[in-house]
Amino acid sequence: MDMLTKPALNVVKKSRKGYHITFAVIALLLALSPFLIDGTSLVQFLGKCMCYAIVGIALDLIWGYTGMLSLGHGLWFCLGGYAMAMFLKLEGTGGKITDFMQTGGLDALPWFWTPFGSFPVTLALIIVIPAVFAGLVGFFVFRSRIKGVYFSIITQALTWAVYSLFMANSKYTGGNNGITDIASVFGKTKGEANRPNLLLLFFVTLAVLVLVYLLATYLTGRKFGKLLIAIRDGENRTYFSGYSVNSYKNFIYAVSAVLAAIAGALFVNFNGSITPTQMTIGYSITMVIWVAVGGRGTIIGAVIGAFFINLCEYNFSSGILVEAWQYIIGAIFCLTILLFKGGIVGIVRDNIPSLIRKIKERKKPAEKEAA
Amino acid sequence: MSFIDTELHRPIKYRTGKALDIKSISVEFDGFKALTDVTVGVKRNSIHFFIGPNGAGKTTLLDIICAKTKPTSGTVHFYPEEGYEILLTGMKEYAIANAGVGRKFQVPSVFTELSVYDNMVLSLSGNKRIWSSIFRKVTPKENDIIADVLDKVGLTSHANEKAGSLSHGQKQWLEIGMQLAARPKIIMLDEPAAGMGKPETFRTGELLKRIKDICTVIVVEHDMEFVKQVADTVTVLHEGMVLTEGNIDDVLANETVQKVYLGRGGE
Repeated sequence: MDMLTKPALNVVKKSRKGYHITFAVIALLLALSPFLIDGTSLVQFLGKCMCYAIVGIALDLIWGYTGMLSLGHGLWFCLGGYAMAMFLKLEGTGGKITDFMQTGGLDALPWFWTPFGSFPVTLALIIVIPAVFAGLVGFFVFRSRIKGVYFSIITQALTWAVYSLFMANSKYTGGNNGITDIASVFGKTKGEANRPNLLLLFFVTLAVLVLVYLLATYLTGRKFGKLLIAIRDGENRTYFSGYSVNSYKNFIYAVSAVLAAIAGALFVNFNGSITPTQMTIGYSITMVIWVAVGGRGTIIGAVIGAFFINLCEYNFSSGILVEAWQYIIGAIFCLTILLFKGGIVGIVRDNIPSLIRKIKERKKPAEKEAA
Repeated sequence: MSFIDTELHRPIKYRTGKALDIKSISVEFDGFKALTDVTVGVKRNSIHFFIGPNGAGKTTLLDIICAKTKPTSGTVHFYPEEGYEILLTGMKEYAIANAGVGRKFQVPSVFTELSVYDNMVLSLSGNKRIWSSIFRKVTPKENDIIADVLDKVGLTSHANEKAGSLSHGQKQWLEIGMQLAARPKIIMLDEPAAGMGKPETFRTGELLKRIKDICTVIVVEHDMEFVKQVADTVTVLHEGMVLTEGNIDDVLANETVQKVYLGRGGE
């Protein structure tokens, strides 16, 4: 065939500019917010929201992109949370045995908690523990080609098992109360006097959120991200295209677990405690709702969803709505799944361009008439 | 583009002239014998058809070759080029795909949410590891391959469309294109003309004729017009066994074939 008659291949890359601009606006608003808000409680709350947004991104990578619904991301969140909380607790006691261990009848710090006396080791473990644990779980789960609902059930069961383990061994873990009365890495953050500490923590967290967003958009923008979508839409086809789908799933599951653990570790700094409640299945499902409402498979949707739902909850947590909130969030979730599969981002993405077109078309006849 | 993996490729002294050697394959599902002692050789750079009534075991045979199903007994050998042999039986499906045996499924299976171009990118041969998928960019040479294949299957102007928005026939061609982008030695097509109109089917046939210069083509198909148009060799399967094999005219003249297969539809 003649080379010249070939139509030229013209590849247009899908632009995600709108998402990036939206994220930049959110990040900018967050950066300004501590200077516009009086008092510390709302700043602290926004700090927590950033942690939620990181978990949201972690979940979006595995659910929105790869199509594996994890109903147990509270587990990874808590592994990071407990690791950081124990470091902070040991800071408070000067490396000695903690109150709940004494109550439980221990007279020395258990060997597995001793590494958490060191900050660098703690930081390393926050990443290594979930990576290894999720890697192992993933290895067996994905090797057996477990997927869909069965994957969701296994993640749930796993979270439930670890939750029970933490509850039952209260002398090691603080049981039902968890690890409480802890300051942040930068010292106490409660009260107006400690505002500089809080601000430092706030901006470190914001920096982490920005880094996680950049990492997630980088990964999903590469061929790697296309493969995750390929696995979601046609797992068999991906196998027969020569990819070891198991390895890809295992890798993204571990990455997601580590991101969730980092979020948990930051979260305890704002929260001042970590309890097994954050490991419950209910809490894990709430995380899924953030992503669904924000919009799956967009990264930015997870961030929007986490802020939207939690800000609503923050505003409704007083007054008559506090009782009804659980029902409202349930209703929002059902509506999203049934009517707006793309979530908030989907609604905007699908409607704004056609809206602009309509406005333009309306203008055009008017111009013609004028002419 | 030849690539020899010393662990996989066993050098052999004799010449086979074949791309694939299926030896005494039997499969049983819970007592049901899907295939019984099937032995077929597929000539290099030919278009080899497997035909037969429903349930004859055609798709199962393709499943065996690409390791979607494990045989109860028997072996499949693959000769990527003269002088080398790979035992496919026992290999993982992605390893078989990487070794150069591509498969197109009966239902068009393309990545619906990705663009036609991205579908092609994922199908290119080469390093399929995680790190490379994160850090490596598509090279100009690979882009040329994609442009060439898209031109062959007539989808150049659809490169930026979502694969899910293509018509049924275009999806079939895209999937054939995805196989070609992988530069396979063997391409297996399960009912490539299913759901296509006459002109589309004819175009698919002409496409296959062009493909056979670069690789061996194995096809499962019902449409006899299509078989007549392109087949070099036809193997007729019936109730899991090889009934007869030969060129299309001989096969059509065979009385048993007429009785079990062609006689009923009157095609």
